[in-house]
Amino acid sequence: MTAAAPEPKANMGQPVPRYDAVAKVTGRATYGSDMPLDNPAYAFLVTSAIAKGRINSFDLADAKRVRGVIDIVTHENAPDLKESKLFSNGGYAGTTIQPLKSADIAHDGEIIAVVVAESYEAAREAANRVKVSYSAVSPSASFDSPGTTKAGAKGQNGQFKEDPKVGDFAKAFNEAEIQLTASYETPTQHHNPMELFSTSCAWMGDTLVIYEPSQYVYGLKNGVAEQLGIDADKVRVVNPYVGGGFGSRGSMTPRTAIIAGIAKRLNRPIKLVPTRDQGFTIATYRAETRHEIKLGASRDGKLVALRHEGAEVSSRADPYCVGGTKTTTRLYACPNVDSLVSIVRADRNTPGFMRSPPEVPYLFALESAMDELAVKLNMDPIELRRVNDTTNEPIGGKPYTSRSLMACFDEAAKAFGWAQRSAAPKSMSDGDWLIGYGCAATCYPTQMAPAAARVRLQRDGRTRVEIAGHEIGTGAYTILAQTAAERLGVPLEKVAVFIGDSDLPPGPVAGGSNSTASTCSAVMMVCDQVRQRLFKAMMPNESLMDKAKETVGMGQTPSTEAAKSDRPLDLEKAFDALGVGVVEEYGEWKPEGAPPDSFKAMHSGHARLVGGAAMKDKIAYAFGAEFVEVRVNRFTHEIRCPRLVGAFAAGRIMNPRTARSQLMGGLIWGMSSALFEATEIDERTARYVNDNLADYLVPVNADVPGVEVILLSEQDDHINPVGAKGLGELGNVGTNAAICNAIYHATGQRIRKLPVRLENIEV
Amino acid sequence: MSDHSGSRPSGFDRRTFMAGAAGSALVPLAARAAAEEARAPVAQDPALPVDVTLRVNGKDKRLSLDARTTVLDALREHLKLTGSKKGCDHGQCGACTVLIGDRRVVSCLTLALAAEGQEITTIEGLATNDRLHPMQQAFVDNDAFQCGYCTPGQIMSAIACVKEGHAGTDADIREYMSGNICRCAAYPNIVAAVKQAAPDIMKG
Repeated sequence: MTAAAPEPKANMGQPVPRYDAVAKVTGRATYGSDMPLDNPAYAFLVTSAIAKGRINSFDLADAKRVRGVIDIVTHENAPDLKESKLFSNGGYAGTTIQPLKSADIAHDGEIIAVVVAESYEAAREAANRVKVSYSAVSPSASFDSPGTTKAGAKGQNGQFKEDPKVGDFAKAFNEAEIQLTASYETPTQHHNPMELFSTSCAWMGDTLVIYEPSQYVYGLKNGVAEQLGIDADKVRVVNPYVGGGFGSRGSMTPRTAIIAGIAKRLNRPIKLVPTRDQGFTIATYRAETRHEIKLGASRDGKLVALRHEGAEVSSRADPYCVGGTKTTTRLYACPNVDSLVSIVRADRNTPGFMRSPPEVPYLFALESAMDELAVKLNMDPIELRRVNDTTNEPIGGKPYTSRSLMACFDEAAKAFGWAQRSAAPKSMSDGDWLIGYGCAATCYPTQMAPAAARVRLQRDGRTRVEIAGHEIGTGAYTILAQTAAERLGVPLEKVAVFIGDSDLPPGPVAGGSNSTASTCSAVMMVCDQVRQRLFKAMMPNESLMDKAKETVGMGQTPSTEAAKSDRPLDLEKAFDALGVGVVEEYGEWKPEGAPPDSFKAMHSGHARLVGGAAMKDKIAYAFGAEFVEVRVNRFTHEIRCPRLVGAFAAGRIMNPRTARSQLMGGLIWGMSSALFEATEIDERTARYVNDNLADYLVPVNADVPGVEVILLSEQDDHINPVGAKGLGELGNVGTNAAICNAIYHATGQRIRKLPVRLENIEV
Repeated sequence: MSDHSGSRPSGFDRRTFMAGAAGSALVPLAARAAAEEARAPVAQDPALPVDVTLRVNGKDKRLSLDARTTVLDALREHLKLTGSKKGCDHGQCGACTVLIGDRRVVSCLTLALAAEGQEITTIEGLATNDRLHPMQQAFVDNDAFQCGYCTPGQIMSAIACVKEGHAGTDADIREYMSGNICRCAAYPNIVAAVKQAAPDIMKG
């Protein structure tokens, strides 16, 4: 076994290689802009050079002279599109700012024209020759800019229903033996998935096919249909592979319906591949946040009071917020809790989900503050977490379905060598390098959503699994194939998986780490329907559970064993008894506690995630602990992070190979969120400055020397039939705090604003 | 492209092209001597198609291209070889990496006309008879990708990294593979894959 394929522990599947591995290493995996189109025209976007104001006029003469230009679309001649509501308000859109509707400009980089030409080169040339006359108004860029407005999130954002609180925070804080008040800031960040925000649209009669990287093909299909004013059955979204999502492709952006409308008008397929810098403004991003944490504790470290106040930037048009207090108020035992989340409106594009949307910024604040409290108490930060560990969340007193937080701390601490740490700041060094160790907790809500699947089994064991799920790099193909192979007892290589197509049975948005639990639960259920039909044919009077295994030969054997065995005989008998060649079943699964309109919403592309802190009589989270070593050069102040160690417990691990990879990538994302990533905003113009991959820093290979992922065995029978907690977003939570905690240990300097640059270090 | 004319092997003229490109953001062109056969320096519209023959994965491909077409767009839009990916179009991410001769180049910053007559190898040209190249197999074995979008570029870069002699140590591999961004951050697995494949590739 290579390091990439860890030996499975209890309640883990086999670390089989990815289902789509060969397609991906041979270039045969087809992403949105790889899809062949018949004689396409090429679109190139023109985006606004001001953040607020109006377009006086366009001068298109020069652009139109470019050979090969077919059309230039502006607000004066744009296709008529209906508005779409924000996803959190019953719609599909990630923004309600609809470009090309009027001469008004709402944010930097808003789409103001689309040039269509015979070639990409001509479209680009002409787009660069479009001259725009603006009347600019001074915009509000961010928190401290004049002209912003601030109001509580509760009441304006449909998905942020409550500021959690319990007990009497003010009294308990005032009377606490130890008090801590500290403020933290996190920066604007952009997902920058490798695949650009491309869209290809082709009409066949009145039917539209969209090739676009999407994390929610049913949402996009229904949203575009709504904007075009056509039946959703006339729209099909196809994306068998998505070149990274990280949340950026979860809700509809305005570009899709615009391109679809132009393709319809020109009666020709249109291919749009926006530039990298356009991706910063035509899609969403993680907005900057500010936090104040107040902790009151007794001398033995027990929390007696906790308050978390957060503020987040959004656009003028939309009340987007992540509201991470739902997690930070429930992570530790504490009888007196208060919280408040506010939204600050500025002249910006609307932000959106980015990997662990609430937890990355909000746990940075809380887990930094916990470290500061540990220092005040002269206590080991792991022990501080231990005395405040809890089986029930403090707000409603609901029990965690399972919680392996301290087991994760202990395993990670051992692997990391935490015992070798000398506690005093600036006490460890290696030549010119100050060494710091730091740690933090991570957690992420366990979420599920309704999902449907179709499973077809042939008498030779060949199996076809269909579900409109998404392969964004998570391993969705692989674990769906494993689930079906195990459940049906057929060899893994006989299972074919079809996802990424809105003509398949509806799957949920690939967001909120719900995909594995939801899609695998649906596929398990439908596989059981298949088994039931076969079993009933052979043993009409027996119950399925008692006899299925020995009679039909379909046990839940691990896929490697199943792959070795050839047991077609029993299958053939069953098919003979049934008198058919193929058994095909369709089924719709919904999680416990799903709202009554779940299945309707599933078909109409509205995500209805349940779980986490929102469950009725319990609370479900995955947990982990992350440890980092940082080295700070005492002369240059260069910061390096040679070691990242994370231990995670997330219920059933479907495939330790894909799980490890996701968590490893998550840890690196977490490091990046502390040391690299920030979108710089020009305060005067409210424009993004470093909108390219050379200036927006993301880690490269040389930045990542050592990452260790430890998967803990955990069983949870109270979450979903699969028993899986999502882990795609677990890995990159808390890492930013762990790094700042390590920098404090190395240098004695507490850094409360991200990202940490060498100029912020004052050794 | 329908309205081009002429039977010249290449309608492209270096001097007029350079003049036309002056002041634009196009990179200097490393044209070959063979392309410089004497032709009248007539000013030409860059959008007028130019005949070019690209040698891709051992096969000659005759194309008629806008002179501004990059190797990447020639592969993707004209030859339907979509394995090479566009991640930035600025030479910043490495997703478009191909081999030209033995060198790894970012095909988004290389004009197709400048690559005429040279051996271009793309991800589609590595596997033989459905047998994966050792680097492809190593990427599979070590789970050296997640979404897979940067993978063709990583693999092409990794092959060159080994052949350049830059795969001797983990630190070397990390350094010389740092021109290829993997946003999923499969980096440790990429290092493991390069290490696994290196001996096979050096053996030839």
